[in-house]
Parts: sequence; C-alpha cells; structure tokens
Amino acid sequence: MKEKTDVRQGTLALMVLKTLDVLGPLHGYGIARRIEQISGDLLTLNQGTLYPVLLKLEQEGSITSDWGTSENNRKARFYRLTRDGRKQLQAETRDWEQTAAIIGRFFAVKAEDLK
Amino acid sequence: MRTLRRFFRRLSSWVTIQQDEERLGAEIEEHLALQTAENLRAGLSPAEARRQAVLKFGAVEAIREDYRDQRGLPFLETLAQDTRHALRRLRMAPAFTITTVLTLALGIGATTSIFTLVHAVMLKSLPVANPGELYRLGKETRCCYWGGYSQDNEFSLVSYELYKYLRDNTKGFSELAAFAASEETFGVRRSGSSEAAQAYPGEFVSGNYFRMFGIKAHAGRALTDKDDQAGAPPVAAMSYRLWEQRYGSDPSVIGSIFNIDDKPFSVVGITPPGFLGDTLRSGPPDFFLPLNTEPYGQSTSDLDKANTHWLELIGRIQPGARPESIEAEMRVELKQWLRSHWGDMSANDRAKFPDQTLFLSPGGAGITSMREQYEHWLKILMTFSGFVLLIVCANVANLMLVRGLERRRQTSLSMALGARASRLVREALTESILLSLLGGGAGLAIAFEGTRLILHFAFPSLPGFEGVPIQASPSTAVLLFAFGISLATGIAFGIAPAWMATRVDPIEALRGASRSTVRRGSLPRRTLVVFQAALALILLSASGLLTATLHRLENQNLGFDQDGRIVTKIGLSGYRPEQLTPLYRRIHDSLSSIPGVSAVALCIYSPLSGNNWGTDIWVDGHPPPGPNDDNFVSLDRVTPGYFDAIGTQIIRGRGLWEQDTATSRHVAVINEALARKFFKQEDPIGRHFGGSVEAPSQYEIVGVAKDARYLTSSLDKPIGPFYFLPEAQHDFLPKAPLTDVSPGSHFLHDIVIVTRPGTSLPVARIRQAMASVDPNLPIISILTLREQIAGQFSQQRLIARLTSFFGVLSLVLASIGLYGVTAYNAGRRVSEIGVRMALGANRSHVVALVLRGALGLILLGLFIGLPLTFAAGRFLGSQLYGMNPYDPVVTLIAVAALGFSGLAACLIPALRASWISPLEALRSE
Repeated sequence: MKEKTDVRQGTLALMVLKTLDVLGPLHGYGIARRIEQISGDLLTLNQGTLYPVLLKLEQEGSITSDWGTSENNRKARFYRLTRDGRKQLQAETRDWEQTAAIIGRFFAVKAEDLK
Repeated sequence: MRTLRRFFRRLSSWVTIQQDEERLGAEIEEHLALQTAENLRAGLSPAEARRQAVLKFGAVEAIREDYRDQRGLPFLETLAQDTRHALRRLRMAPAFTITTVLTLALGIGATTSIFTLVHAVMLKSLPVANPGELYRLGKETRCCYWGGYSQDNEFSLVSYELYKYLRDNTKGFSELAAFAASEETFGVRRSGSSEAAQAYPGEFVSGNYFRMFGIKAHAGRALTDKDDQAGAPPVAAMSYRLWEQRYGSDPSVIGSIFNIDDKPFSVVGITPPGFLGDTLRSGPPDFFLPLNTEPYGQSTSDLDKANTHWLELIGRIQPGARPESIEAEMRVELKQWLRSHWGDMSANDRAKFPDQTLFLSPGGAGITSMREQYEHWLKILMTFSGFVLLIVCANVANLMLVRGLERRRQTSLSMALGARASRLVREALTESILLSLLGGGAGLAIAFEGTRLILHFAFPSLPGFEGVPIQASPSTAVLLFAFGISLATGIAFGIAPAWMATRVDPIEALRGASRSTVRRGSLPRRTLVVFQAALALILLSASGLLTATLHRLENQNLGFDQDGRIVTKIGLSGYRPEQLTPLYRRIHDSLSSIPGVSAVALCIYSPLSGNNWGTDIWVDGHPPPGPNDDNFVSLDRVTPGYFDAIGTQIIRGRGLWEQDTATSRHVAVINEALARKFFKQEDPIGRHFGGSVEAPSQYEIVGVAKDARYLTSSLDKPIGPFYFLPEAQHDFLPKAPLTDVSPGSHFLHDIVIVTRPGTSLPVARIRQAMASVDPNLPIISILTLREQIAGQFSQQRLIARLTSFFGVLSLVLASIGLYGVTAYNAGRRVSEIGVRMALGANRSHVVALVLRGALGLILLGLFIGLPLTFAAGRFLGSQLYGMNPYDPVVTLIAVAALGFSGLAACLIPALRASWISPLEALRSE
C-alpha cells in the first residue's frame, strides 16, 4: 500500500479554494470528497479537519455559505468562492509556482554548473 | 486586512453561539450521513458503514473544540468562565470574602485618598488656556515686599515701574501680567445694604491678567487694560464662589456698586468657576481689583514707589519663543532699569548691582507656595500609606495561601485530568483580581470620606474663608489610579499563592493528611509575617517621632501666656493714618469696659499669627552693616500695656507705657536675642539704634523683654531678634520732619484681649463692643490665642495623627497576620503535639514549642525593621523640626509595642494548643 502523506499546514485552505473555484459551490462533504479525488488518494485527510478551515476562510471573507439542498434532497450548507477569495487564490497560486520554480532549479543543479 | 476582518467576525460571533453550535452539529451529521450512504453503496453493512464514516471523519469532539477555538475569542471566553467560577467560589466563602474585601478597601482607600491630595496639590495645572506657555518670574516664592534696588539671589518681586518697563520692552512675552504678592483682605459691603462690612480675600492684578490667562468672564466682563489706568472708574471682578454662595448667582450683582474698604467699586464681572487665581492657597481671592486702584483712598501707596517691589510677574510667551533667551533679555533690561535709578541707590545697593539677576520658571502650575509647603509631608504620607497597602497585601496573600493549601486536592485532581498550570494560575489570579477590584470599589468610598476629613483638618478655615482650593470629589485621574492600584494589588498578592498552588505533586495531595512536622508550605507565609512586622515597626516609630515632635512644638516655652487671651483681627484698609490713634483709643476703652476684661492692647500682629514685619537696623556705635551682614530684625508696634497683655516678661528696664507719647523721646523695647546679637555682654539699656541709615539713633532702648516666638517659620531654630515700638510715636526723617517713614507700621490689625481667670467672654459681646466703636469696621476673625497657635500647628498635628493611625493599623494587621500563621501551624501539628503530650510533655512545654517559632519571626522582623526605621527617621527630615531621628525612647517604645502585641497574638494559639487532650489529638485524622 502506498504511504499516504499528511496534509501540510495552510495548504488545506488553498485546496479548498481551488476546489470551489473549479467546481463551483459545494457542501462540506462534497469538498472533502473532491479533495481526496484530486489528490489521487495520496493524501490522508481526516475529513473533519475541513470544518475549522472552512470557518476560518469564511471569517476571512474568502468564501461565503448558504443553506441549500444536497443531491439526496437533504438540507446542506453550501460554500462558494467570493471575489476576494478568487483574488487570494490567484495570489497564492503565483506564490506557489514561484516557490516551486526556485526549488526546482536547486534540485536540478549539478556540481559542474557551479564551477 | 483579512486578519482584521477575521478578528471582528470572531468578536461578533458571541452573539450567535447557540445557532453556530447547532449549525455545526447539523453539518457534521449531514457529512456523516453522506459518507455513510457512500459506504452503504460500496457494500458495507449499516453499522460498519457508519463506523467507517466516523473513523474517516476524525475525532468529532476534538474537531468541535477546534472549531470553537476558531470561532470566538477563546481567551475572552475562558476569562468569562474563570470570572464566573471565581465569583461562585467567593460567594461560597462569605466570611473570607468580606474580611478580605474590607481589609483591601482600607488599604486601597487610604492610598487613593492621599493620592487625591497629591494630584490636586502637586500635579494639576491651573485651569487656564495652554498652561504650558506660562512662565513666571522667580525660582522661589518670596513674600511679600522688598525695598531698595537689590535682591539677594534673584530679583523675583518687582515694583510697578519696573513691571511696566519689563512689560513694554520684553518682546518674548505676548502678554506679561502682574499681581500683588501679598494676600489682601478687604472689608466689603454692598452699597445700599445695611449690614456690616464682611472681610474677604482679594488681589490686585494688572489689566491684562485675565487676557494673559485666556480666561473669559463667566458673567459680565473681565478686567481689561482700560480699567488699569490712573483715573479710570474703579471696577472689580468677583469670584464665582462668592457670587454663587453669598449672592445665589444673582445677576443684579453685575454692575452694582460694592464698597470695598469704604470706597465704591463697580463689579463688572464674575470669574469662571474653578479659577482660583494664580497661586494655590487656602482662601483664594474673592475680589480682583486693578493695580491702579491700590492707592485709591490710602495715603500710603506702593504703586508709585519705584523701589517698593510688591508685584509678582507671570506671562505667556510667544509661540515658538525660547524661555532662555527671554530670560537673558530680561536680565539686560533689569540692569538697564537699575542703572537708570543709580542716583537713588544706596551704597549697598550699588555694591550688589553686579550680582543682580533674575530667573524664569514654568508657571503653568501657578505660584507654588502651597506646593512647597505641603510637598514634603504629602510625600511622607504617600509613602506610609503605601506601606499600609503592602501590609494589607501581605495579609491577604497569607489568606490566599491558606486557601490554596486547602484546595490542594482539587488542584491536584485538575492537574491529573490535564489542566495546564498556566490555566490554573490564571484561575487563581482571576479570583485575586476580582477580590481586589471589589476592595477597590469599596475603597473609593473610603477615599472620598478620608480626603474630605483630611482637607477639613489640613485647612483650618477661619470664619468667612470658605475657600478650600482642592476638590475632594474623585476625578478621572483618581479613579484611574484607584483602578490601577487595585489591579496591581490583586496581582501582587495573588501571584505568589497562585504559583505556589501549582507546585503540588498530585499524588501527595490525594494521599490525604500529612503526618509531618515539617512546616513545608509555610515558608512564604513566614516571610510575609516577617515583612509585615518590619513595616509595622517603621510606621510605629515614624508616628512616634512625629507625635513627639508635635508635643515638643506645642509645649515649647513660647515666651508669652496662652491662657485667657483672645485675639481679634480687624481690617483697617479703609482708614486714613490720622484716624488711627483715636480709633485705637476708642477700641481700647470700649473693650476694656466689658466686664471680665482685664487688659486690652493692640499690635500689628500677635504671636504666631502668620505675619512678620522687619527691617534692617543700624546700631549706634557699631559700624554700618556691609553687604554681607545680616542686620534684618523683626519688629512689632504696640499700644501701651502690651507686654502685660500678652504675658511676656520684661527682664531688664521697663515695657512700653502711656508715658511714651508722640512728643517724648523715641524709645524701643528689644528682646534678648537682639541684645545678645548686637550688644553681647554690654548693657543695652540707654543705647540707641535706628531703622534707617539716615537716623541711626532713632530709638533709645528702655527695656529688654524675654524671647517670645512670633514667627511661624523656623520653629526649630532659636528665636530671632525682635524689637517693639510704641504706637503713639511716629518716625520722621530728620530731613523731612513731617513725613512718616513707615506709615504702614501704624496699622495695628490684632487686638489682644485678656479676660479675668474664670470668666468667659462670648464672641457676640466683643462684636457688640466693636460695633459701638465703628459699625463698618470689618472684623476678620475672633479666636482665642490658644486656637490661633494650634492653628499654626495644624499641619504637623494632621500628619502626626495620620501616621499614628497608620501605625496602629499596621500593628493590628501585622498581629493578625502573625496570629494566623501561628494558629495554622499549631493546627497542623496537632497530632505531633498529641504524641509529645502522651510521652510526657506538659502544658508549658507545648506553649513554649509553639511560641518559639512565632517569636523567632517577631525577632527577625524587628531585626530587619530596625535599620529601616532609622532610614525612615532620616527621610522624615525637616518634619521633625530638629528632633533626633534616632531618638532611643521612641524606638524602644515602638519595638516594645510590636513585641508585646506580637506576643499576645501568638499566645492565644499557643495556649489553645496546650489545651488539646492527647487522646483527641491522636484520634483526629
């Protein structure tokens, strides 16, 4: 069995935002399932830890929530990305890509390149 | 930005606690339901599906706690919870709570009360616009007249001419105002009313005085430059206090005529409430008159004498101006002005000319005569009340320690269940702070009353002088101080016990009763008791020293008779000099005719009345005094029979009698100090001296009187030189035989009335007799001589009383602390005592056992306290008026008092311990 990695701090919020960005409004369970799906089951995630993160994002104004009906006709709370959230997502995406690029260069360097 | 938004959301989420909890519950249930459904579709059994769903979700309770932490402000929530719990705990122990709150109230109340005074006297500034821009002339306060063209150390008083010169030439001041340095009393009667004139304090001020302060009249208008011109219609401003209290804020007062010293003035306006003048003093002015009205009606005036310096200056500097450059500018102007009067200067003045300088100091707090007077003893009181507060804290800390020890089982249980030490400390601290805030609240009430009482005793009000210039009501600063000090107190006495409480080994406490003889947890308590004992010793000996000083001051040989004498002060500003002698005769006759009166005499001022007249003297046969000689001598002018009236013994020659008339040779009576200073071994009778360089043989000495204390300053120094002149004789210059040299010295304000032993003289009778002489003569006060003297020592009496109160309080508190510790320790050793007694120890052994520990504490406290006591004695310094701060008697009494009360405190638990029957002791626990 492949070892599942634990989610790094702070990245869970980013994943939530991206999920909402791509898939539109979702309820909590839906977000959790989608994150598992996207990560290709490489991530271990106690689904419950999602809820405090959702609260934090909501307090910060990146997402908002509303009551709605889920697929099996039950009442559920749906979360949706706001404009601020979209801006935050873009900003963090840029940061990540930049970080990844820099680290990538370091990993690619060989002894000869530095002589 | 996001964080801020988040913070506000968290703050506001308090409102929706219930809904949020429900919502989360619903969401979690929903989530689990969906996951369970998924698992069911995947083929698991319903029970297994649910279980897997829950596993996947994670620990629900932990998630919910995490959610709660994110939602609100956990710090505030736990604080609220701690407070609720603390309140509940306190409610369940009412005796402890009430005792503690009351003790704290006492300590905090005393400190706050003293602080109110400190704030009012030392920290507040004048209620005027931009007090920071105000600067006054002079570093020290000088009262009240200075003659000539030189002043030692600094030029701080100016004449009217010099004031105008400085005002017109100093560019650095946007406004420079002047006011009279001496406190005047005016006899005032509203024109058209039939009542007698009343005496009120007043002040002469320059026209721009109010404009300089930036003060507008509360009603009517303030004085202006136009009012301060020679020949302008005489106007005055009245104080708000008088207008409100005496005339009920009657608007018709404005514009009406008042007879001030029998001269009509029009009251044009009322000063704003809270404006008490430029100086913080008791008896703030009720009338403000322009400078130019000063000679109005008097034949003697200070206004037009260039060399009579009677004005103080205070001004507003230009924005951006530097006081140092203004000071330098003014020094140059001073020298210029002096040089313009070179021809009028005496030789001494010319010799001192190069040294003449002046200083500017910040004037925002007003002239600080009161501050200097009261500063030292306020500091002393503040320190001592701080000590009392510390003792109170130590006592309460002791109580808290005991409580902590009693709750050890609960605390250890909490820790075993996972409570963090910091949370427990916070819990205990919340309780302490709550107690001290409650104590502080109660303390405010005490502080208010206490301040009122202190002010009442500190400013003995003469009848008619209602103005105590300090408000006793709590201001914002005082409230903040009380709050702050309550907080600090709570932390101070709470933190040690709280920290101690967490140092429990959980197993130890759960195991139950201790069978040890080791008094392990009581080291901090014992330290506290020692600390209390030391502080109590300091306070006791300080109060002993101050009380002894007061006793010495009051019972020193004053050189005159205090019994059976009444001093009546009158206001004479409305009289012309030629009216005076016949007036005194009429007063003398009228008062002497009252049955019971055995003698009547008048003088400029009676002993210890607070006033002083003095001049330099030239002694015939001695070289004229050089610039460094101190020939300044006090003088008093008296009517015949004065020495008998005041009870001062004449030890050589004779007193002043009827035979000294206007035409007989000019005589004087000197005191022993003057004889010692100028005549040493020679016989002064028949020698001559004079009050001015032109007439050094003016007076012939006909008698030497015993030293008597007249001056209220330097009470610890020997009595200074003094001479007495007869009222009937006027001093004329040899060159100008009709011009009186010092007409002012013929205004005799004090009347000494001697009553026969056994008779009492009602005040009304005196007023009646005075009214028959002149119904318009204002009577300023009628006091017995004893009361007048006691009034001079009111400050010392107050401070002695307060420190004694603090001393006794601290003794009681320290004894209670000692009692508590001893009782507790004895209680813990009950089983040990039982064993000892069973093995043969008798009662006295047990008593000795308990006492030994306690006495050790007392001795340690005394040992530590003694050197601190001596330091405190030095700190008291000038308040002791020359008494030895290491006075062995006082120290011994303080040590003995502490020792005995400590002994008594621990004797009781010792005796109780000895009455334990061994059987009971061993059976308990």
